[in-house]
Amino acid sequence: MLIDIRDIYKIYNEGKESEVRALNGVSLQIDRGEFVSIIGQSGSGKSTLMNILGCLDIPTYGDYHLDGTDITELTDRQLAHIRNKQIGFIFQGYNLIPVLDARENVELPLIYQGMGLEKRRERSQAALERVGMLDRQHHRPGEMSGGQQQRVAIARAIATHPPIIMADEPTGALDSKTGLHVLEILHSLHQDGSTVILITHDNSIAATAERIVRLSDGQVVADGKREEVFS
Amino acid sequence: MKIGQALKMAFKSLSTKKARSFLTMLGIIIGLAAVIALVTYAQGQNLAIKAFYDSQGSNVLNVTAYSWGAAGSNTAAQQLYDYCLGLDDVVGVTPNGSVYSDLTITYGAKTLSRQRNYVSMGGGMMVSEGVSDEDHYPDIRLGNDKFGLCGDYKLARGREFNYLEVQNMAQVCVLGADTAEYLFSFADPIDKTININGLPFRVVGVYQSKAAGVQLGHSDDSQWVAESLKYQDKLLLLPSTMTRYFNNNEPIESYTVKVRSADAVSEVVTELNGFLAGIIPEGSGFYGVDNPSGYAKDLDEADAMQQRFLGIIAAISLIVAGIGIMNIMLVTVTERTREIGIRKAIGAERRSIIVQFLIEAVMICGIGGVFGIVVGYVATALLTKASFGLVIMPGTGITVGAFFISVVLGVIFGLYPAIKASALQPVEALRAD
Repeated sequence: MLIDIRDIYKIYNEGKESEVRALNGVSLQIDRGEFVSIIGQSGSGKSTLMNILGCLDIPTYGDYHLDGTDITELTDRQLAHIRNKQIGFIFQGYNLIPVLDARENVELPLIYQGMGLEKRRERSQAALERVGMLDRQHHRPGEMSGGQQQRVAIARAIATHPPIIMADEPTGALDSKTGLHVLEILHSLHQDGSTVILITHDNSIAATAERIVRLSDGQVVADGKREEVFS
Repeated sequence: MKIGQALKMAFKSLSTKKARSFLTMLGIIIGLAAVIALVTYAQGQNLAIKAFYDSQGSNVLNVTAYSWGAAGSNTAAQQLYDYCLGLDDVVGVTPNGSVYSDLTITYGAKTLSRQRNYVSMGGGMMVSEGVSDEDHYPDIRLGNDKFGLCGDYKLARGREFNYLEVQNMAQVCVLGADTAEYLFSFADPIDKTININGLPFRVVGVYQSKAAGVQLGHSDDSQWVAESLKYQDKLLLLPSTMTRYFNNNEPIESYTVKVRSADAVSEVVTELNGFLAGIIPEGSGFYGVDNPSGYAKDLDEADAMQQRFLGIIAAISLIVAGIGIMNIMLVTVTERTREIGIRKAIGAERRSIIVQFLIEAVMICGIGGVFGIVVGYVATALLTKASFGLVIMPGTGITVGAFFISVVLGVIFGLYPAIKASALQPVEALRAD
């Protein structure tokens, strides 16, 4: 089991009148090599779930084991290492650093690993080639279209060869054609062995996955094969 | 993350906000330049004054004795001279007078002269600017065979006057190093004859350069001291009895007394004061015994106070600059919250974020420090040129120290914003606009 969360709660302002339960007892297991879509209305808690799965946020209660490691026990520094080596993030808003060009953005996580220039360059070139952005490697984010930026962001996510790719509404800011292209890249990564977790509110995009998890009000209301959930 | 990468990234961030980075640096530049210029100026001023007193030699007293009335001073001076010779603790005493009128000194084609323009001012005559040959025109002094001993001059060639030459108003002279070099270039001046206002004088001795001795040293201060001593190498020493000829027989009222040891100085001062009080009753003249090494001591205290004062001013200006840096770094952290979130999301440790922002602050200070040193050098040059008439450069110590301070400033005032940045939670940071 690659990802194993049990009875996760994320509660804001606990005990106060303004208490919000973003996650209200979520359990989920994901195996290595799966392609899982997590769907739900806005406010259903799917982004909070992704933040916790991605070690960007810690649950208020509950257990999280990633590849056998108990995440809730880890220090700040160890969490940073997991984000760096185990997970590749793709965000709706691309989240590229504007003062760095495409190649520098892709190499940033490798720099944080302390990787040497030569190997880093090799990795960044391969990652940019994979998403078809090698010819734009010296462009800054401001000089690229949304689709191109998202492809650079994907290159950054895969440059460290992480076992898990997490994509939070990766097509949300793109037109349907470029969105489809991004989706194709995610599927090809899955084909090559990555575990892909795709978070979206768009059923047609979610439906490209084999397994769908539906969230509502901070709870899992459906989890199963595409045909079962969308029946 | 490697430090080279961190430097590159910091430089990139700073260069995207050029105007802001420069304005932040300006505080450091002005602060450091002021520190360098003020400290160098104060050091120079103190050194120059101290060098003057030190060059008089140690354990030296300047005695002035004058009494009204015909032949009064001559008697007082002679009595003082005789009295000093009788004191055990006194190793030498020399009249120390000046020739007030302008002389013309020639040797071969070389001439030393000066024309001072006298202008009428409020009824009196004043010497105005417009002095020629000022560069080499010597201080013309009247002394005896002990002048070198008392004035801390050492012979380079030849000898001092002898007793008879002084008594008999012999036409002999001793030259300071600069004067000898000007008149004779590299030739040996001993036994050559120079003309002073048409009278022949034989050169019997040449003193060593006081300034050159100092320059052999390795201290940063030697330049100052040497500059302030140069004028003491411009010297033409004549037998004290020549006052009869060049000063209209006016008595010499000043004497320089060399005391055996520092311990004996205050005792000799007391003895001299007592003696002079006896021979010059109140109202019949004046006298004084000056102890230059006493001034030097006072000067040290004034010096320390001035340094403290300058230190406080410097510290204030640098703290103000540091606060400016902290302020701008806090703004930067707020502006770049999202960037910090991204960096954390892709695996930056807290340490990497701290290093990144710290390096940016240190880089601002370091670059500002370099410019500050350059501006400080220019300011020091201008200030010393205007005040002392010669360009003095700050020492290595103050330069290295100033740069070090600016870097430390970057660390101190950059630390809080950097820690603040590193403590941001990735999720919240990513939510920022």
